[in-house]
Amino acid sequence: MTSATGTPNQLRLLSRIPASHLAAGAAFLALALYPVVNPWNAYSQGVALLAFLLAIQASGWNIISGYAGYTSLGQSMFLGLGSYTVAIVGLHTGVNPFWLAPLGGVTAVVVAVLVGSVVLRTRGHAFVIITIALLLAAQIIATNFDALTNGSDGITLELPFWSSDYQNIPFYYAFLLLLVLAVLFSAWIRRTKFGTGLIAIREDEGKAAAIGVDTTRFKIAAYGASTFFAGVAGGVYAYFLTFLNPVGAFAILGSVMIVLSSLLGGRGTLYGPVVGAFIVQGLNEAATVYGGGTGSRVLLMGLALVAVVLFLPAGLLPTAQRLWRQRRPQTVEHTDQRGALATPSRADVIEARDRAELGDGEDRADVIAGDDVAVPLLELRGLTKRFGGILAVDNVDLTVRKGTITAIIGPNGSGKTTLFNLVTGTMAANAGEIRFAGRRIDGLPPWKRGHLGLGRTFQVTRLFREMSVLENVVAPLPDGRWRTMLADAVSGAEADRARELLDVVGMGRFAAQRAGSLSYGQQKLVELAQVLMLEPELMLLDEPAGGVNPSLLDRLKDVIREVNARGITFLVVEHNIPMVLDLCDPIVVFSRGRPIAEGPPAQIRSDPIVLDAYLGDDWRPTSSGSGGGPVPGGSVPDHELSTGRG
Amino acid sequence: MRAVTGANLLTMSGVTAGYGGGDVLQGVDLTCVEGTVTCIVGPNGAGKSTVLRVLSGLLRPRSGTVTMAGARTDRLPPDEILRLGVAQVPQSHALFPAMTVRENVLMGGYLIRRQRALLAERLDMIGARIPIVRERAHDAAGNLSGGQRRMVEIARCLMLDPKLILLDEPSLGLDPRSLAAVADVIRTLHESDTTVLLVEQNVRLGLGLATHGVVMEGGRVRLTGTAAEVGEHPEMAALYLGGAPGQTPGRDRPSARA
Repeated sequence: MTSATGTPNQLRLLSRIPASHLAAGAAFLALALYPVVNPWNAYSQGVALLAFLLAIQASGWNIISGYAGYTSLGQSMFLGLGSYTVAIVGLHTGVNPFWLAPLGGVTAVVVAVLVGSVVLRTRGHAFVIITIALLLAAQIIATNFDALTNGSDGITLELPFWSSDYQNIPFYYAFLLLLVLAVLFSAWIRRTKFGTGLIAIREDEGKAAAIGVDTTRFKIAAYGASTFFAGVAGGVYAYFLTFLNPVGAFAILGSVMIVLSSLLGGRGTLYGPVVGAFIVQGLNEAATVYGGGTGSRVLLMGLALVAVVLFLPAGLLPTAQRLWRQRRPQTVEHTDQRGALATPSRADVIEARDRAELGDGEDRADVIAGDDVAVPLLELRGLTKRFGGILAVDNVDLTVRKGTITAIIGPNGSGKTTLFNLVTGTMAANAGEIRFAGRRIDGLPPWKRGHLGLGRTFQVTRLFREMSVLENVVAPLPDGRWRTMLADAVSGAEADRARELLDVVGMGRFAAQRAGSLSYGQQKLVELAQVLMLEPELMLLDEPAGGVNPSLLDRLKDVIREVNARGITFLVVEHNIPMVLDLCDPIVVFSRGRPIAEGPPAQIRSDPIVLDAYLGDDWRPTSSGSGGGPVPGGSVPDHELSTGRG
Repeated sequence: MRAVTGANLLTMSGVTAGYGGGDVLQGVDLTCVEGTVTCIVGPNGAGKSTVLRVLSGLLRPRSGTVTMAGARTDRLPPDEILRLGVAQVPQSHALFPAMTVRENVLMGGYLIRRQRALLAERLDMIGARIPIVRERAHDAAGNLSGGQRRMVEIARCLMLDPKLILLDEPSLGLDPRSLAAVADVIRTLHESDTTVLLVEQNVRLGLGLATHGVVMEGGRVRLTGTAAEVGEHPEMAALYLGGAPGQTPGRDRPSARA
């Protein structure tokens, strides 16, 4: 342990640890020493150990409901499950409950995973309702399964073997140890790719799936992980109480206190639930001493919950942090767009391109030589999507060949983005098939398609607002293995590559900022870096130039070309026609949900059908010339056609 | 184009504002003369959208003042500012996806919801100006494409016949034809004496439509003037039009369109 009187070196190390960890460490030391200083006060030890117990549960709850955003209102069930497991096994085997406590954790996890496998397949509110129902069901089962649980009479356990003079002290340390483990576990999860994936699910589940997060498995795993320490603590708690009955073990009040603790302290933060638990347990104790029975406590906790939601929606720790920041404003970074255009980085790209050409020279040559016979990477056959009465994608046949930068252009509402949604699995098609690298993918969930090598950006950016920019860029998962999930979220080589990509798009200085604080155009650039990170086989870019400063467009094209030179195929939807003509080949023109022309830029540029469909009034059959807004001169002036280019 | 003779409709002076992490705007001074179209350009993250958010009351400035036709607005809530005739079309995500196009546009007239005749009249006028409002009236806004939504968002802000319209990147996600239609709407607004303040990355389009130009960088105003002056300013061309000195400007422009 680092002592305050250490060498200057140690002191420097100490100053680099965040203040919150130092405070937590100090609090731990104080709590660990307390029974030594004051061994004979069983009451205060009892109050403290109940606070530890609540904090253990709240820390667990925070994993599924804080990180992943799926609110569980029946979390106290797992404490009861742990208690009953240990009590029943203890009764039949005679083993001391302390040694059996981990079994309680195992039971909790098994039940959570089984329930989660059913409930967490869907999105939304079903989970909340079912967790309450489960808690009540558990109470009913415990009451009626006499043979196992002794029904409403409850189970009486053996008394602790140590002297009643210091009765509470072993329990005090057991719960403190479990609390430390629970917090470390929570911190570890938050640091892994698994943790980042959970935050991604909370922020935007659809987008999370699009970057390769197997949302179902992540949610189930999070639910399981959220219950382990509560289950173990339940075993210890049963021993502490020495008596167990269904109403006490599966009380709704326990769940309310867990939720209240986390909301009060700060949902989704590491220490928030712990801080909240200490306050709530203090209140609870005060209510018991001064307020009377259980009924008044339910009322009090309910009112406290309402007050927290109304007046402290973010929770204590995040609010304190915000106030702290307001008092000492940081200097705001602004995009380094001149830097992005400066010579060194440009040289880097060229060098990288040369390297790529040296390395994969032959592959690249193959692609070029066999251009007209190049392998189809993505094939769509008869793809159809309806929205109500509107045929958004109408029986589309389309082939994207490997190694190309294929563009889709077309009027607004011609189905381009919907086509992207069908290909990446964000939406299911009504008919037709999608083949990727020869394999049928239209039945696969979005994350599997991501693992196969499909990456996309969105027309309206969908970054994870609460994550830092760097975390966003490293968030995509290349595969669905556990090893990948449990790897560090931001690790060496990966972080270097992410920083490099951020520099490429001119956003390097923003790595540590919260993504939600960036402007739209900046988010657009970060999202591009995010999808580049995965280097998928096929990248779908939905209006990459939209909202991006013109000075960055050359850079953007360079980046796309550089990545393309490494053999990665692009499918780009874009309205910036000069950029498309310069960058893409072939160009597919969409109109009314289907392709009407395809060919190299030179051909597309001069195709009268294309010009008519794209610039003319084809989508709205009746409106031509109606009202006061005729298209000037029947054609579009040059400055409007050359969108955003100087 | 009309001669610009009006008084200052809007004045921002010394405005600093941010989102809790520090000041994005670091002392912005800006004026909009009545009846003009002013276009703000600048790099991503320069604070352009933040200026609009301060003007519409969505973000309260930390210091500085905003006056609208002589009245202080920097401490007013957004609905009061809307009542004064300032309407904003945000950058994205602004429609109610489950409501129809017609309902969405009508929501723009929430403040005059009791004046049914006026509502109907305005709806007709907007339908004539922006055809999609009529043609897709009964489709859910969520079923529209990105560009179509953009048109509906602009249509909606016209319901209150605002004095000052704040447009955040009206060209975003629009195909060339819709772009021409939006440009046309902005021209019509200008002809009917509505003051417009727009933020635009499509610098040519933006300054082409505008009478006045403002260049922002790093949370400050760097350059103001008539649109032509700003567009032709050498530094401007170097920094924000993508044609840095030494590069060949217009390399990507198609030599001929047909």
